[in-house]
Amino acid sequence: MTGPGERPAVLVHRQRGAPPEVLREVCAGVEEEGVPAEVVDAPDGPTATALAHAAAQASRLEVGLGVDAAGAIAVHHGKLPGDRPVASGDADATPSDRRRIGRTAARVVKNLPLD
Amino acid sequence: MSGRAPGGLVVGVDIGNSTTEACLGLVDPDGQVTYLGTALTRTTGVKGTPDNTDGALTAIRDALARAGRDSAEVRTVLLNEATPVISGLAMETITETIITESTMIGHNPTTPGGEGLGVGTTCSVGDLAEQPPGQPVVCVVPPGWDFDDTAAAVNAAVAAGVDVVAAVLAGDDAVLVTNRLTRPVPVVDEVAAVEKVPLGMLAAVEVAGPGRTIRTLSNSYGLATVFGLDPAQTRQVSPVARALTGNRSAVVVRTPSGDVTDRRIPVGELVLHGAGKTLRVDVDAGAEAIMDAVGRAQPLEDARGEPGTHVGGMLAQVRDTMADVMDSPGLPAVPVAEIAIRDVLAVDTFVPAEVRGGLAGEVALENAVALAAMVSTSRSRMQVVADRVSEGLGAAAAIGGVEGEMAVSGALTTPGVDRPVAVLDLGGGSTDAALLTRDGRATAVHVAGAGELVTKLVHSELALGDREVAESVKRCPLAQVESFFHVRHEDGTVQFFETPLPPEVYARVVVLTPEGPAPVGTRHRLDHVRRVRREAKRRVFVVNALRALRQVAPGGNLRELDFVVLLGGSALDFEIPDMIADALAPHGIVCGTGNVLGTEGPRNAVATGLVRAHAAAAVPAAREPVP
Repeated sequence: MTGPGERPAVLVHRQRGAPPEVLREVCAGVEEEGVPAEVVDAPDGPTATALAHAAAQASRLEVGLGVDAAGAIAVHHGKLPGDRPVASGDADATPSDRRRIGRTAARVVKNLPLD
Repeated sequence: MSGRAPGGLVVGVDIGNSTTEACLGLVDPDGQVTYLGTALTRTTGVKGTPDNTDGALTAIRDALARAGRDSAEVRTVLLNEATPVISGLAMETITETIITESTMIGHNPTTPGGEGLGVGTTCSVGDLAEQPPGQPVVCVVPPGWDFDDTAAAVNAAVAAGVDVVAAVLAGDDAVLVTNRLTRPVPVVDEVAAVEKVPLGMLAAVEVAGPGRTIRTLSNSYGLATVFGLDPAQTRQVSPVARALTGNRSAVVVRTPSGDVTDRRIPVGELVLHGAGKTLRVDVDAGAEAIMDAVGRAQPLEDARGEPGTHVGGMLAQVRDTMADVMDSPGLPAVPVAEIAIRDVLAVDTFVPAEVRGGLAGEVALENAVALAAMVSTSRSRMQVVADRVSEGLGAAAAIGGVEGEMAVSGALTTPGVDRPVAVLDLGGGSTDAALLTRDGRATAVHVAGAGELVTKLVHSELALGDREVAESVKRCPLAQVESFFHVRHEDGTVQFFETPLPPEVYARVVVLTPEGPAPVGTRHRLDHVRRVRREAKRRVFVVNALRALRQVAPGGNLRELDFVVLLGGSALDFEIPDMIADALAPHGIVCGTGNVLGTEGPRNAVATGLVRAHAAAAVPAAREPVP
């Protein structure tokens, strides 16, 4: 078993208590685009954006997702300023919005237009 | 008014379709002009209507303010006589693709699943369990099915011996389903109207590998092999094969009478009157045949379309619009029947149109013809404006001359230009040419089609859905956003940005507007957008430059022209002047963008020409006592 960040993958930093149904949709979005995703338990970060930024810093693809305990989501790129995520979603986002945010992360990796 | 010094300030004002320009000059009694300043503002209202007064006054006051002069010093204001042409545009598709009985899905979902070809009987995912083992089945999944549930249902059926060979999904989860199958099969997704796929019919699903296109379903004999067709049936399905060419994935369902038709819409005949003859040309023969007929009917006296046909409707629409524009308050309405079309430019184009009967929003490129038409009007529409300007400014205002002649006079102030000189005014609705011979005779012509037609072609060929975007694609160079921090320009150079680019433009083709990069809403690559843009400009401006110059050149011979000066808004374009200069170079013509007064670029030619004409006319008049 390799450690997180060793394989090229979009890292998903999950706060303790992050809802599994949110993680499922987010990861499905990444997978549908054909990009590997890896979920990592993160120490308690303050916000989804901060979690995503840390994940992007750790990812070899420089792209990370953050899911906080409430289910809020963010996508980040390692070279962007910490307070400017690529995309984000509230805790009450619909499943298709969550899927779309996952897809956005993969599309940043693939250098394709985001939707 | 006595007490005013002879000579005085003269303002030339050119009211154009989109901008109003002013030129302020001090004219000496001996006719010498000292240019004091120019101004440019947006035209208020439709050109040639009293609404133009506000814009004209703004331009005049701006020019005065810039020169530090007062409106009381103005002796006279000179307005252009508007070019007596109005133009209109129409576009009509001449082919139509129709899928009957929902037999074909040919689209490019961004992420199909699996790879290969699967042929079997269509069956809803809910009924998979009841299928007899050993029979090949294509599984059809309606919206709302989760990818885990779909994969589980298929895996269960396969385990029970049902031979599932392919799947068609409503949602966007082909890769997710394929990844969870015990036996991977080709999966096509994002089929919005999946409920219209007929069940219990023989169907073929093909998905090509990444970077490849389908091989079997886009080949007529491939379809014949898959469905066991005889030669007559193969002939019938060949449009299906053609419609699927270039796709990465496709579904074809064999139904008893399903078909794809590629129908030519009868557009009708264009009837051209001119040069003592009447010529008829079928519009679906294309632009080349139409322009050939227009060339043989020169000078054109009128053009009409067969009533009850598309072309009849197109020209009627152009005529109606023109009648509305030409109506001026206080004058009787212009009877539509009296409007004669004096020039037509036909351009072949294509329009991406959603296929009728398609299940996944398929788009087919349909052939179309765009027509620009132009009418002449004998009505002077500027006198009303002159009266109001006079009232508003407290100075005399008059019509100073005809646009084409004034433009050529103004163009002569461009350094390096001498008579004989021709100008090409690249406007919005029409392309105008004027020639000033060595002995000072001026002739002017107007041909239909200019900047607005270019915008329309770009708009429809790229299916942009937003005219403003089409306008900026026409005006500004393109770039490809390659990361959050850099773009690659269309010439291949790379530009770095210190602040990250917004996610809306990430990885997109953008136009570099003065306000920053703006996304172009298209799946096409930069090369394609660029080609469409340049082709639209070539088919309108290069074609019209040659057409118009041939009409003013002595004997129609372009070699008789020495200097061609490009004027008008489109002369500021970043590539049109080069394209025209390239086309004229083989004829030994010096061609370039004008630089009126050595400072104004291709702007202000008409306004400057008005001041020059007034000064020239003032010389003999100055010897007589001022009334």
